[in-house]
Parts: sequence; C-alpha cells; structure tokens
Amino acid sequence: MTALQLTNLSKSFGGVIASEAVNIEVPAGKIIGLIGPNGAGKTTIVNLITGMLPVSGGTIHVGETDITHAPAHEICRAGLARTFQNTRLLSEASVLDNVMIGLHRHETSSTFAALLGLPSAGRETQELRTQSMELLDRFGLTEFADYPAGGLSYGHQRKVEMARAVATDPDFILLDEPIAGMNDVESDALADIFRGVAKDGKGVLLIEHNVRFVAKLCSYVYVLDSGRLISEGAPDHVLNEPLVISAYLGGDDA
Amino acid sequence: MNSFVAGYIPLFDLYCLHVGLALSQYIVLRVGVFSLATAAFAGIGAYTAGILAVDLGMHPVIGVIAGTATGMAAAIFLSIPLARLRGVYQAIATVAFIQICLSLNIYSENLTGGAMGLNNIPKTVGTLTLFIFAALATYLIWSLEKGRIGRAFNTIRQDEAVAASLGISIRKHQMLAFAISGALAGLFGGLEAYHSYAIDPKQFGFHLLITILSYVIFGGRNSVIGPLVGAAFLIILPELARPLAENRMVIYGIMLILVINYMPKGVADTAIDALKARKLKARGAASS
Repeated sequence: MTALQLTNLSKSFGGVIASEAVNIEVPAGKIIGLIGPNGAGKTTIVNLITGMLPVSGGTIHVGETDITHAPAHEICRAGLARTFQNTRLLSEASVLDNVMIGLHRHETSSTFAALLGLPSAGRETQELRTQSMELLDRFGLTEFADYPAGGLSYGHQRKVEMARAVATDPDFILLDEPIAGMNDVESDALADIFRGVAKDGKGVLLIEHNVRFVAKLCSYVYVLDSGRLISEGAPDHVLNEPLVISAYLGGDDA
Repeated sequence: MNSFVAGYIPLFDLYCLHVGLALSQYIVLRVGVFSLATAAFAGIGAYTAGILAVDLGMHPVIGVIAGTATGMAAAIFLSIPLARLRGVYQAIATVAFIQICLSLNIYSENLTGGAMGLNNIPKTVGTLTLFIFAALATYLIWSLEKGRIGRAFNTIRQDEAVAASLGISIRKHQMLAFAISGALAGLFGGLEAYHSYAIDPKQFGFHLLITILSYVIFGGRNSVIGPLVGAAFLIILPELARPLAENRMVIYGIMLILVINYMPKGVADTAIDALKARKLKARGAASS
C-alpha cells in the first residue's frame, strides 16, 4: 500500500531545532491529522515536505519515490499536492483559469505545438476547459467560473484552491490550516469535500490547530510540540493525554 | 493622396520594427522577469547581421537567421545568472549587460566599426518584409499566450510558490521566455540593420531600452494587444502633434505619467478588463 512517509525528518536552523526525528505515515484513502500549538513546527514540516526548505536529516517518500531533496515542482509531479495557509490564488485570473492551471502537469502537447498554436495545442486547451468545468461543478463553483478569483468570498476562495489541488490529480494532499478564519458552516462544507477526496483513495495530511475539527475528521492524529512528536494515535485517545493537554494549555499546573 | 501615404511609410516601418522589440520586452515581463536586456539583444542581432553582410557579403536571409540565433544564444546565456535574481536586481543586472555590450562594441573597432558604427549595409528589407515579420511575431506570442505555456507564464508571474506547487518548472519557463525574447530582439535588430543602411552602438543603448519599456507599460503587460497599442500610441501621437515636434519627449513623458497614474495596467489591459467586467455584470443582471 502506498503512503506518504516521513522518516526521522529533522531540520535545524543554526542551533535551533525546528523538527527532530519526526516519523509520520499518511496511507492512501485516510485523513491524517497533524496538530500542535503555535510554534510547534507544523509549518516547518509543511515546508520540508513541499521542498520550500532544505531537509537537514531523514527522508520523505511519496509511495516509492524519494522526494527528500527534489525541487518543489518535481514534488507535485511525484503526486503530492498542497494548499496554502493563506489562500494563494491567482487573483487577477478567472476562477476557471485558476483550476485549469492545476491540470498543467497532465498537459502533453509539445512546446513546439504550443508555440506555433497548432491544432493539437488548441484541442488540449479545450479538453482542459471541459475537465476544469467538471471539477468546478463538483465543488459547486460553476456560476463563478468567469469571475476573477480575487473577488470571491474567503470560503469560496478556499474551495477554488482545493479544486486546483485536486486538479493535479495527486495521490496525496497536504492541507495547511485549511479552515483558519472560517465559520462552522463553511468549514463543514470543506470537511465534506475532504472526506470525498479521501474516499477517492487519496491520502490527506491535515495540518490544523482547530482540535475539534481534526478530531471530527481524522482517523489518526500526530501531535507536534517544539519540533518533536509528543503523541500519536486515534483522536479520542490523543486529545486526552496529559502531555498533549499541557502542551496546548501550557504548563503542568494548568 | 499617394504622397500623403508615402509620407507615413517610414513611420509604419518604425512601428513594425518596434512592435517586434516591444513583444520581446513583453514576453519576459509576462513570466515575471524584470529584464531590460532587449536593447542589447537587438544590438547583438543587428551587428551580427550587419557584419555578415558588409564584411562577408552574405545573403540577407542568412544574416537575419544568424542575428536571430545570436540574440537567442545571448539571452539563454544571460538567463543562467539571472535565474538567481529577482525583481529590481534583474533590472540592474540587465542594464549592466546593455552597458557591457555597448562598451565591447565600441572597443572592438576592427570588427564593429567602433563608435563610428557600421556603414554601407545593403538595404534589402522593405516595408512589406517588416510588416510580415511583425505579424508573424504577433501571431507567435498570441498563440503561445492562449495555450499551455501562457498559462504557466501567468502563474509564475503572479506567484512562484504556487507555480512550483503545481509542478511548473520556473527555471525552464523563464529560460524559454528569455530564448523567445532574445530571438525576437535579434530578429528585429537584424531587420533594422538591413533596413537602415547604417547602425551605430548608441542606437542600442539606454534610450532604446526606455522607448521599448514605455510601449509595454503604456499599452499593457497582460495581453498581446498591449505592446501593439502602446507602440502605436507612442509612435503616432507625437507625430500628429507636429507643431510640437520639438517637444516630442515632453509629450512622451506626459503621456506616460498620465497612463501610469490613471491606468496602471496600461491602456489596452484597462480596456479589456472593463469590457470583461461589463459582460459579467450584464450576465449577472440577466440571471437575477
């Protein structure tokens, strides 16, 4: 069974240890949570996986592929997509264009054909447009297709970003605080989408600090504090552990 | 009537040449590289073509092809160090590159004629040739823009992290944009050499850089119509205001300042955006 696998992942900035011997496994078809208080090193883990930061030690595998030192754009090609902590859409471009660009890695027309505007390139563009419209339909965004993405409400922008990540047809998706700043209705709608993605057989790594949301959605949870994993297991079990509670609430006497 | 048209033909020639150079500038801005090296690539292309014709008596077709190839080679070479820079640092580096080309040109007097320039180039390129090449260049950029490469360029320009996360190789696409930019500049530099009897080093210096950049800023940076419109306005308007011909640069400056302040996206892009917004609004009103 394929999995997104972090083995003994370590990162230090000079003397400061941002993550130390982190082992995480995200199997296909499951939603796995990674939680931790502010400054625990969640974002560092995301940046290590996505190639934004060089890894100091340990390995990262997507299925059989070692992506530990791969440049950022090859990580996507290995089958790992991501969303960003602050939605990062191309705000000038239309919603449709934003989703279409997610299909980039599946485009096959040659550079030459694209340069000269040969019919094969035109056909491909038409095909992508159709596929993107199908995706928009699935996410309930059809009516916004031609609007500039920057003008959409926050919740809708999140959905567009999710559609773009799904468009790359990844085996695994990394969600970096996907519901930050959302109300319950919006986050429930997103939760349904995440469940659907997992049902399609994709592995999801959900990085969040909204514990309630994670507990509801994930089958397995890792807890990070000061760059180390302090607990892992089923959500009910993990969230009742004294070590986790004290990490979140601060100190033994809390 | 005929003499009236004939009077404007040199202007049209200039327009065709500068559209090519403006497109060369446009395509690098499109992929988010703030390179200003088009003037240098044009100089390299022009001198390659000119020297081949004057010193070696080569056929102009070979000269133009060689000019295009050397412009492209120089651009690919320059793209390697530039890939490590961003934003204004790229601009500084490319302006330095123009200066280096200018100095080398003046020093290698035996080959290039130095400050005196290269003279007695046989004139083999006429209005029709210029027009055909300008049209071809426009078609090339237009078809590139609406396909896979245009989408990748747009993404890289707006957000490099997003582009990388979607599997788009930034380095590869920026190098491609550079290669196209250099080839276009080299091509139109070569055409200019065969069109104007003589070329001199100063022609491909800072003044040309500003002129070309103004076309793109004036017209717009996000659609191929931008450079076409920008070049048209900035070449024709000062000409229509003949009585003020002495103050050509003043008019130029005022127009640029007005556009930058009131239509920061450029004339053509602002118009396109307004049309799009109107269409969406009309549809919204119809459906509600």
